[in-house]
Amino acid sequence: MLVKVLMVVVLLSGAAFSIEAQTPKTSAVRYACPMHPEVTSSRPGRCRKCKMTLTKVTPAPPRDPNAITSMRISDFPIQDQNGKSLKFYSDLVKGKVVAINFVFTTCTTTCPSLTATFRKVQQQLVEHKFDAQLISISVDPTTDTPERLHAFAEKYKAEPGWTFVTGNSSDIELLLKELGVYVANKNDHTPMVLIGNDKAGYWTRAYGLSSPDALVKSLTEASNRPGRGSGF
Amino acid sequence: MSHKKAQNWFWLVVLICVAPAVVAAQDSLAQQQSRGRQIYVQGTSRSGKEILAYVGDASLEVPGSTLPCAGCHGLDGHGKPEGGVNPSNLTWEFLTKPYGVKHESGRQHPPYTERGLELAITRGLDPAGSKLLAAMPRYVMSREDLNDLVTYLQLLGKERDPGVTDNKIVIGTLVETSGILADWGKTILTVTNAVFDEVNSQGGVYGRRLELNVIECSAETRAAARAKLESVLKDQQVFAMANAMIAGTEKEVVPILIQNQTPLIGPFSLYPQTGFPLNRQVFYLLPGLDDQAKSLAKFIAEKPEFKKSNIAMIAPGIAVFTNVIDAVRAKKDAIVIRYESGRFDVTDAIKQSRQAGVDVVVFMGSGDDALAFMREAEKLNWFPAMLVPGGAIGVSVFDAPIGFDRKVFFSFATTPEDHTAEGRNEFRAFQAKYKLPPALITAQISAYVGAKMLIEALKRAGKDVSREKLIQVLEELHQYPTGLTQPITYGPNRRIGATGAYIVTIDLKEKQFVPVSGWVESN
Repeated sequence: MLVKVLMVVVLLSGAAFSIEAQTPKTSAVRYACPMHPEVTSSRPGRCRKCKMTLTKVTPAPPRDPNAITSMRISDFPIQDQNGKSLKFYSDLVKGKVVAINFVFTTCTTTCPSLTATFRKVQQQLVEHKFDAQLISISVDPTTDTPERLHAFAEKYKAEPGWTFVTGNSSDIELLLKELGVYVANKNDHTPMVLIGNDKAGYWTRAYGLSSPDALVKSLTEASNRPGRGSGF
Repeated sequence: MSHKKAQNWFWLVVLICVAPAVVAAQDSLAQQQSRGRQIYVQGTSRSGKEILAYVGDASLEVPGSTLPCAGCHGLDGHGKPEGGVNPSNLTWEFLTKPYGVKHESGRQHPPYTERGLELAITRGLDPAGSKLLAAMPRYVMSREDLNDLVTYLQLLGKERDPGVTDNKIVIGTLVETSGILADWGKTILTVTNAVFDEVNSQGGVYGRRLELNVIECSAETRAAARAKLESVLKDQQVFAMANAMIAGTEKEVVPILIQNQTPLIGPFSLYPQTGFPLNRQVFYLLPGLDDQAKSLAKFIAEKPEFKKSNIAMIAPGIAVFTNVIDAVRAKKDAIVIRYESGRFDVTDAIKQSRQAGVDVVVFMGSGDDALAFMREAEKLNWFPAMLVPGGAIGVSVFDAPIGFDRKVFFSFATTPEDHTAEGRNEFRAFQAKYKLPPALITAQISAYVGAKMLIEALKRAGKDVSREKLIQVLEELHQYPTGLTQPITYGPNRRIGATGAYIVTIDLKEKQFVPVSGWVESN
């Protein structure tokens, strides 16, 4: 699996950036005193204050400023573009690598770009046999009936693996609140994409109008995150 | 003197020679603008040449039709802020302010020129050479298309929709003024004219008089009337339509309206076309037979004596009834019996219904067919509930066998129960002022409400009225009280103002209608 993912990464954007996530070169190995953490050295030795042997410090991975540290997604009842009733978490997110954007079918400003970007992302995923779930949640569920979403999905040539989500307006409102993207006026919806790896419990945000390549790269990084064990 | 004469001659010659050239130039300017408008609004070229849009760092290529200019900058060019993106004002006055433009972001640049606009469209640069907002795509299109677009941009925001001038708005209607529906057609025309006259006598709508452009026809000349409608709309004579009689010709008339993007308010029809995808331009006031049939089925299902409520739907094989049948079957299973008009096989219909254990019949045939059915059923001592959407079998119902007493149910889209005191007084005063006869009250009320709704929508759409704004304000109407019908609600997915029906039963002993329900919502 890892090999496959790495291959995808290499294929997609050359070897330059991809290995970094596995073996960080940027932060060199450091040694520190167990009693005086401010005493550090780039070589093994003794503490200049207490003469204790310095121990090797594994540097913390660089913090992703967009990472979301606590994410809880409930099983809201939703409907897809085919009018099929689904449970949001179990059917679309559980155990998967996902990208979620937020659109409505009567929006003519950012949504066409957001959706066309997802279309390109899906093409690249299919091309590289990279299994990730794309989700477009309607921020206007009252207007966006499954029929409307179906027509919208067809217009952008969405293939299986890309689910358009609508439902009862109060359920969708709660779902959007959980995902941290709820806005009172649908026209204020942010052009943002949530990218996550449910198994790893890893979530991050990306700007929705980023290039498809950048989103695929984020998805790859998400899928490279080590799992937190099965069953979660 | 001779000098002056020569000068006159000179000007005459100039006029003769130059005038045709000026006319030709104007004509081609108008054509250029119209081609440019298509690019602006739809992102497609009339020449059929490809238009492509590149988004972000140009890695995303989409057809121009996915991201037409109007999507972000609006039909009026003022820009539609959304999702943190604030598209610029594209009106020519704004772009060419002599002292340049300073944006909220701090970006500033000298005034645009035609060449400057081309650079903005194709390279994403403003006249100062700075990059435009990232959400603004770069477009690739042919030289001719770019010229057309830039020409149109100089007109953007200054044009008006068809049928609107400084002092009038032309509204079209289509009515049958001869043939069996002549009385209806004439009534609709009289009432609509009277409502317009009343609003005009009060100064019109934002100082514009309402003028009615009437297309008259009969059942025989419907095709010719449609051709006329098409040419009237093509000639840009009419802003919107109201109170048109399109019963039975909906499938032909509605596409003409859609194609010309002409809104229609209050069409007269029993078979509204409201399936998906929606006909965005057409706003019905009252429910059609499909909604009424659903209300009837819902009403009867709640009565204990029809608990089983095994339904048979009996209808002539005409296409219009298919919608009604589908509407009911979407809610509840029913057997369907269709027959050729005028060749109703009563025995067979009864046999099929009895075999299926039917106790409720939705009947859409003629009055004679209904009577034949009920008389035959009486012989078998079988008295199912008879549901008649729209009460279409008429007064012949009073000849039904007595066993069907209070077992026949009619639905009505509106009854006097809907009239508020205010609505009734207003309408009576209107009837008196325009000397309307006390006949065809339903037609009078429908036409009155249709015309009033149009005027209300025009007022809400504001002085800078456009078809798009008209549709927008109508979609925002929620429980709007007309005083004479159920309140009217529209929405992005809703084109029937009131969905449901009143239900009355027939007392065969007293020979009268007896209301048995209030308003029953169909959904």
